[in-house]
Amino acid sequence: MTRVVVLGGGLAGVLAAVALTRHADEVVVLETDHYPASPRPRRGLPQSHHNHVLVTGGIRALDRLLPGVVDDLLDAGAHRRNMPGDCLIFSGEGWFHRVRTEADLIACSRPLLDEVVRRHAGIEVVQGVTATGLTGDAGKVTGVHISAEIRRPGRGHAGRLAELRTTTGTPLSDLPQIARTGSVRADLVVDATGRRSQAPGWLAALGVSPVEEVSVPSGVSYATRLYEGPGDIPAVMVHPKYTPARGGTLFPIEGGRWIVTMTGDPPLDEAGFLAYARELRDPVIADLIAKAKPVGPIRPCHDTANRRRRFEDVTLPEGFLAVGDSVVTVNPVYSHGMSVAAMTAVRIAEEGPSQRAVAEVADRSWRMAVAAPRKGGDAKVGRAMLSSPGLAAELFHGQALIPAVRDHHAVFRAMVDDPVEPLTAEQAISQFAWAR
Amino acid sequence: MALTISDAVIWQETADGVSLYHTETGAFSTLNETGSKIWMMVEQAGEREPIALSMSRAYARGNDAVSRRIVTEVNQFIGSMVENGMLLEEA
Ligand SMILES: Cc1cc2nc3c(=O)[nH]c(=O)nc-3n(C[C@H](O)[C@H](O)[C@H](O)COP(=O)(O)OP(=O)(O)OC[C@H]3O[C@@H](n4cnc5c(N)ncnc54)[C@H](O)[C@@H]3O)c2cc1C
Repeated sequence: MTRVVVLGGGLAGVLAAVALTRHADEVVVLETDHYPASPRPRRGLPQSHHNHVLVTGGIRALDRLLPGVVDDLLDAGAHRRNMPGDCLIFSGEGWFHRVRTEADLIACSRPLLDEVVRRHAGIEVVQGVTATGLTGDAGKVTGVHISAEIRRPGRGHAGRLAELRTTTGTPLSDLPQIARTGSVRADLVVDATGRRSQAPGWLAALGVSPVEEVSVPSGVSYATRLYEGPGDIPAVMVHPKYTPARGGTLFPIEGGRWIVTMTGDPPLDEAGFLAYARELRDPVIADLIAKAKPVGPIRPCHDTANRRRRFEDVTLPEGFLAVGDSVVTVNPVYSHGMSVAAMTAVRIAEEGPSQRAVAEVADRSWRMAVAAPRKGGDAKVGRAMLSSPGLAAELFHGQALIPAVRDHHAVFRAMVDDPVEPLTAEQAISQFAWAR
Repeated sequence: MALTISDAVIWQETADGVSLYHTETGAFSTLNETGSKIWMMVEQAGEREPIALSMSRAYARGNDAVSRRIVTEVNQFIGSMVENGMLLEEA
């Protein structure tokens, strides 16, 4: 009987569990937190207050792993927008025309996305159990230590061991042994505990050589606020052109709400937030939220550094795999983490667990996030990108983690043809059925 | 010496001259009038010598020194186009 134990019931953990049910007899997911009864942010996922969009690479991967789940998301109120076809985007080069590409984004609250995925996957997650270390040695991981309280009988905890079940709801057959040793046996332990993963320390305790960690500061903070607002508007993005890298986004999400994020060094007080939105390179977001009713407080996020743990470069013990944010986290402005988790899960489902495959999926996003900004570039091509379907496709397909090929004929036309007049803000906005 | 335009090059005659774009290196340039003429001859004739000869015939007006200079300049131009990968030359 082969058993996989997945640590962490966030998106990467749940999707890895779905993928691994194809390769193991039983899969157990241990989550330290408790899921809320309805889609609401939770303690174990502080970033769930912030904007989370899924891009095409992730959308396709999710639907491949769990066919129909994307329809479920849209039925639950998520919004799908083409980039830049259904988005009002003011980039460093100017306003985008509404050209269509294969790059889409799905916007909804993070708690809704997690809940829909979990419901669709139909897997049971053991909640309120914290992984505290690994068992085994530098050659083989044999299981995972779990927090003591689940084993302690007594008021409030009596019988909690029986909660240890597989993803299909079957109680574990070795409960007495788990009670005695405080650890759950596994043929494969998957670390999906996210950006604060302790796995490198746990591996070191088994004698594994240190896992190299590279950290590249992003230099931006986030401030996010929800507003009541209709769903029939485009996603709005105002990007920075120069430093300080001040930008803003507005995405319609489920429940007739907008999730509005200011990036850079945004203030957290009401007046400051609004003034910051107004001082962006264009005040379109400020104009929209000025008329909308805020819901809840303005929430900050300062943990936006790019971080890569190179698990694949050490001789890992057999029976260990790390996935998700534990392996790579990139500046949230790229909106990649969940898509990377989904694309990784597809690789695992199709090829079996492999740290190398995890690294390959992570690398594209990582390279994009830490690449030095391209100096110069041809101004004519940059400007033509705003209206050329071929050039816009290259840019947005890259951002959406799908194959992005250079349309050489479009580059050539950009160099040779007279440039298209750039759109004014009013023209850009009037491409959508709403006026300033 | 057979000259051919590289498959990696997209080009077009425009009002300003021939515009060239190398899809692998990303290099773009627009040739001046003389360069454009030579480029069009490469496309038609595909040989260095006849191109140099016909350029010198057209512009040297029988002056040997000018003719030699034209041949040298045509060869330099073609050499630089071969070097930057816009043209391919096979013996
Ligand atoms: C501000 C912000 C905005 C973002 N926006 C986007 C976006 O737009 N698009 C996008 O794709 N990504 C976005 N991301 C990234 C995204 O949040 C992550 O990539 C995504 O959550 C997947 O991570 P994960 O499942 O690996 O980790 P997490 O989602 O962090 O889940 C880890 C889970 O492990 C549990 N856990 C932790 N320790 C233990 C333990 N010892 N034992 C048991 N359980 C444990 C936690 O409670 C948690 O449930 C954003 C991130 C931030 C910070």
